[in-house]
Formats: sequence, structure tokens, C-alpha cells
Amino acid sequence: MNLKLLFFASLRERFEFSQKEITLSKEVRTAEEFLLDMSKQSGGEWVNLFENKNMYKLAINQELSSWKDPIHEGDELAIFPPITGG
Amino acid sequence: MNIIIQENSFSISKIISDLSKKDNVGAVVSFSGYVREFSKERQLKSMELEHYPGMTEKALADIVQSAKSHWDIQEATIVHRVGKLLPKDIIVGVIVSSKHRSNAFKACEFIIDFLKTDAPFWKKEISEEGEIWVAERQEDVVKKTSWNKLD
Repeated sequence: MNLKLLFFASLRERFEFSQKEITLSKEVRTAEEFLLDMSKQSGGEWVNLFENKNMYKLAINQELSSWKDPIHEGDELAIFPPITGG
Repeated sequence: MNIIIQENSFSISKIISDLSKKDNVGAVVSFSGYVREFSKERQLKSMELEHYPGMTEKALADIVQSAKSHWDIQEATIVHRVGKLLPKDIIVGVIVSSKHRSNAFKACEFIIDFLKTDAPFWKKEISEEGEIWVAERQEDVVKKTSWNKLD
């Protein structure tokens, strides 16, 4: 399963990338499952992000979403801290 | 609807003047937001504004569309800056025109309240003490939620 992952603001700095094509070895059904899979695969900061996911927001294909929302092959998943514009 | 994301500064008075010249405009209401010199007693040297290109424009268009579904407004322009800003710089402008003032007042407030929580921008403050990403303000969340009774 392939996804385009984007990080913004403090997460971009912590993970040291703003976007990356991710290939998962298995299908995941939700954004939460994606995080769990990444934390098992890669550990480190991913475990921290999974455990603290409720402090962060996400967008699937540029729409604000929740962790339980479904993700599909080729989706654009963005993860970021709460919005502070204006 | 006019949505502009840019690094450069802009003139809010020019936008107000342009909107006022359109047909049958009776009211133009504007909100402009600026970089404060102090944040939690830290003196700011500068601010960095980051955004999510593509989603930002869509989110702002959705907010304006939602405002139009609630109030009879004519035009809405949003200008939001990104990149490096200095104290006193303008950050954002929301300018709304309508036939009568009440619709423009309410729509302008609605747009800036939703922009604060739903349009993907992030601020980082740079001071002598270091760099810090600005935290979400609970007041902004409460303010947005207060519009729920409209639906």
C-alpha cells in the first residue's frame, strides 16, 4: 500500500522531512492503523507520535479528518499540530 | 471570492476601496491581524508562518462558502501572509462586502473565527530566548464552537 505522507511545523522538524512516499508492507484501514504500523516498523519518534496522536490533527486528501477515518491506496495523509494561523 | 496566500505585505485600504466600488455595495467590513511585539513577555524578533499549499486555499474557500450560505454577502476577500514576518507586520486581512452592514459584520467575524482553527497555518515565534511553535488558544476553539448554533 502506497501513501503520500506530509508533516508540518513541529512534526516536520522532529521527523526532518516535509513529505515522503511511504510503502507499507500490508494494507491499513485507518489513519490510526497507519501510525501503529509505522511505530512497529520504525520505532523512535513514530512510537511517540502514535502514543500522543490526540495532540495532533490530520488531513486525508486535504480534508480535516479524524484518526478513525479510512485511508486508501494513493491517499495524501498530512499530520500536523493544531492550527495557529490568523 | 478572492483568496490570496502570499509572502509580501498588502494594503487593506486598497482592498476595501476596490470592494466599495462594486455595484450596489452598502457596507464593507474588514478584519486585519498583526504581529504583536510581545508574546508571553518574550520580545519577538520575528515570526515564521508555514502553511499547507493546496489545502489552505480549499479550506478558506469552504469557510467563505459556508459564510455565504448563512448571510447575504456580495464579495469576500482573504489575504494571508506566509514566510518571515516582523513585529507590527500585517498577517491577515478578511474583507467582506454586502448591501447592509449586519451581514458583512457577522460574515467577517465567522470567517476569521473559522480561519483560526480550520485553515492550515502554523506560527513560529523567534525571540532572544529561542524559537517556539505557537500553541493552540482554547479561546479560538470556544469562539468557533459558539457558531454551532447557526446550523
